[in-house]
Amino acid sequence: MVAVVTAFSRVAETESECIARALRSRDSEFIGRMVSQYHYRLLRYLVYWTSRREQAEDLVQETWLRVLEHAGQYNGRLRFEPWLFSIARNLAIDHLRKQKKGSGKVSDVSGDEAGLNLPAPDFESPFLAAARSEDAQRIAAALGALEPIYREALLLRFQEDLSLAEIAQIAGAPIPTVSSRIHRGLAMLEAALGGGSDAA
Amino acid sequence: MPLENHERARLLLDRALVEGISVEDRRWLDSHTGQCAECSRYADLQARAVRALDAFAFEVDPAAVLRVENLVRSRAERMRSAESQERSLWIGTAVAILLTLAGSAVTWYPAAWLAAQWSLPSRAWQIGFAAFWWLPSLLLALLPLLRRRLMGEDSDSKGQTV
Repeated sequence: MVAVVTAFSRVAETESECIARALRSRDSEFIGRMVSQYHYRLLRYLVYWTSRREQAEDLVQETWLRVLEHAGQYNGRLRFEPWLFSIARNLAIDHLRKQKKGSGKVSDVSGDEAGLNLPAPDFESPFLAAARSEDAQRIAAALGALEPIYREALLLRFQEDLSLAEIAQIAGAPIPTVSSRIHRGLAMLEAALGGGSDAA
Repeated sequence: MPLENHERARLLLDRALVEGISVEDRRWLDSHTGQCAECSRYADLQARAVRALDAFAFEVDPAAVLRVENLVRSRAERMRSAESQERSLWIGTAVAILLTLAGSAVTWYPAAWLAAQWSLPSRAWQIGFAAFWWLPSLLLALLPLLRRRLMGEDSDSKGQTV
């Protein structure tokens, strides 16, 4: 009887609760599978933030270590993705701040991440490298010119398919702000595409 | 066609993409874009922008994934083992304190009787009782706290090196 009840409760357990339990019990097998399952999405998100592939890969690793350290804070009531992305986001912002200080470009960045302009790229943009079509190349140039917060909003809404409330939770911003970031990002992308087709 | 209609259509197109719109608004929008070439072009442009975002595919190096996976797994195992040791230590401490309390209750009266037999002042034997009975237990109780602090510093330093 107990076995039946246990089995039933396991079935009834949501994916988020299952993840929370595995994180709390430090289930290395399960956590290992999660790392590979989320690797691509996490890497893409961090590339959108940092514009640098190598840094994004380092940050993916740091994100998972931070997830382990703060495993007790995730209770499984909400979806795992927003929690994971918010950890990655905090690390990316810290990283960009340090980078900015290191390069001597200390600005009045306080709590407002909108001031986090990326340093001038001295490498091939990962967006350009990933762009395979003509449209994508125009979009790549527009994405490269966008500030990370707009790129982030576009990625989370259209590639991760997260709701505005979930994006707001990750970004720590009100829903109308998130919505206006998406609109603004889209407007810039549309302008890039519109300009391209006009020229053609 | 009035200018407000185009503005409304663009606003609805934006909203439809980001947060969704009502069935009624959707019906109006479809009918408007069916008649208006300019707004229809705007809708196409928007759809292309979203589709183009999907065109970005970053290739993942399987060796890099494996490296991160192994590192995270080994860290999880180390943490589990450390937490299990810490839990055992806390249980041990709790048991030691409970035994001290129980033992104190049992030995208090014999100690008082002995002190009376040897005519010891009550303050002196009570201090002796506290020092020889309580002190070892208290030190034992402090051990997990000290250990936890040391482990915390250790894991912090490990976190920096990764």
